[in-house]
Amino acid sequence: MAAGLKTVILLSFVLAVGFLLIILSCALWANWLPLLVALTFVLAPLPNALFGRCSADDFSAEYESSGPADVGRFLTSVIVVTGFALPIVLAHSEVIRPAACVMSIIGGGLVYGTILAYSAAFRQEESEFD
Amino acid sequence: MSLPRSNYDPRRVCVNPFPNVSLDKHKRSIGVYLAGALFAFACWTFWDAAILSRHARPPSDEPAYGVPVHVTFVDWVPGICSVLGFIIVNLIDKDRVRGDDAFSGDGGAVWRARLFLFIGFAFMAGGLAGSIALHVLKYYLHEYPEQFLYYGYANMSQNVCFMLSAVVLWLAQSSSSEYEYNLTL
Repeated sequence: MAAGLKTVILLSFVLAVGFLLIILSCALWANWLPLLVALTFVLAPLPNALFGRCSADDFSAEYESSGPADVGRFLTSVIVVTGFALPIVLAHSEVIRPAACVMSIIGGGLVYGTILAYSAAFRQEESEFD
Repeated sequence: MSLPRSNYDPRRVCVNPFPNVSLDKHKRSIGVYLAGALFAFACWTFWDAAILSRHARPPSDEPAYGVPVHVTFVDWVPGICSVLGFIIVNLIDKDRVRGDDAFSGDGGAVWRARLFLFIGFAFMAGGLAGSIALHVLKYYLHEYPEQFLYYGYANMSQNVCFMLSAVVLWLAQSSSSEYEYNLTL
């Protein structure tokens, strides 16, 4: 349990750093468009979580070609790429500075990595009880 | 008069069967993720060009030159065709196209599925050809500077990525149905 507690604290720290980078990339140049990146990466695991329940039957999930799960994966991937592409596009058309672009990409990556790592760690602990 | 082939199936249209790449479930999800990433990449390359065109300035060495060309609705048409084709192709039941499912009593369903598949691929190929034609007619022949030729390049790469995304998604999904078929036997 102590290891789990440390993991949670570390992950929350990384999440805070990610949000700090995104907000800093907005506030330093008084241009709040990069905040969309945070919104995008927070929304990214949502389709997988929603549509994953559709194919969560213990037997059929092994074999069957589950259309809803595929829709969830497709949407997740689309949203993740959108999160990375949005600051690049904004920086390319000189709406935001390149530094703000880099900061928001790193921050968004940290936020999304935190969410992924948290769900993976949680799933691992759950399987220990089996 | 030639002899029929040994594995002759009257419902089959193509001589070569569909590629049966046997991937496990893990690779199937990777394929779906890859298809989604390609789809979003395609969208964003074109939107990049559109946003860039909205914020375009004249070249710095000669400001009197002005901005000669913008991304207009014509540039959106090939992408819209490709997306329509993408949707049509992926709505089709893969087993129905192959024509080897046991419960398809009439050949009409197979025929209609193949017709829709053809229409979908025709839309995608039309989008790709349209983007190339658009690049040549609207940008290349007018000999614009390189920063405006980029709009045409973005349009072409958008349609290529849509097509790649459809192919990857098709392969990822059809491979798994083959897997399921083997298991249920």
